[in-house]
Amino acid sequence: MTYYFKQVSKVMNDCYPNKGQLDTVIGTRHYINNHFHKELNLDFLSKVRFTSKFHLIRLFKKYYGQTPKQYIIDKRIEQAKSLLKKGVSITDACFEVGFDSPCSFSTLFKSRVGVSPNEFQKRAIFTKSV
Amino acid sequence: MKVKVTSIPVQDQEKALKFYTEILGFVKKVDVPLSEHSRWLTVVSKDEQDGVEILLEPAPNHFEPAKVYQKALFDAGIPYTQFNSDNVQLDYERLVSLGVEFSVKPTEMGTVKIAVFNDTCGNNIQIVEML
Repeated sequence: MTYYFKQVSKVMNDCYPNKGQLDTVIGTRHYINNHFHKELNLDFLSKVRFTSKFHLIRLFKKYYGQTPKQYIIDKRIEQAKSLLKKGVSITDACFEVGFDSPCSFSTLFKSRVGVSPNEFQKRAIFTKSV
Repeated sequence: MKVKVTSIPVQDQEKALKFYTEILGFVKKVDVPLSEHSRWLTVVSKDEQDGVEILLEPAPNHFEPAKVYQKALFDAGIPYTQFNSDNVQLDYERLVSLGVEFSVKPTEMGTVKIAVFNDTCGNNIQIVEML
């Protein structure tokens, strides 16, 4: 057994002793991955995993380092990038990944990706054609 | 500032290029000769060819401390870096079938599943799947 694997085993025992909590956050993440394009809110997510919403936020942040809301936004932005690369219009991409306002989508996209959806799509298409 | 390139020290650039492209499935992006024995050689993920480039740098051959550091990490089984995987178990099986040696078989560790393999160029590399 390598030194590294011994350390990994120690971290596993120290940081992840609670199987119930792990099942809750992993289950929540899977649910988000499969339903991110629909309307998702904390009340609903907490009911899915039979826990309070404040407890869910704490657990999700503890295990994944970000809140469920932040994760949903990241997931939607990643998916939107993929759609924009395929040539899907900005408005269609916005609605398809679960955002409900193209204007706020563009603002959010620029703040996360660094360029507007329009600029991102132009660059992606240009790179593809080179 | 932006992150465009990160590097992995390799003992043999040609051998590394073969391993990272033919075994791992990366794609060569930039290959510029710098001297008789070294190149600016980068690869990218096939699925994210506009993503971060990995510089396969021959540091262990030119700078003794780099060689010592690389060997110390390798001997302890510590990964030099890690790549994300959609399915660690499938990647593990595919790589084993190609003769890749793993020091850590697919192992669940809280919210991730990890595995560690030998890149044949002096490094342990970890693959990680978010659960």
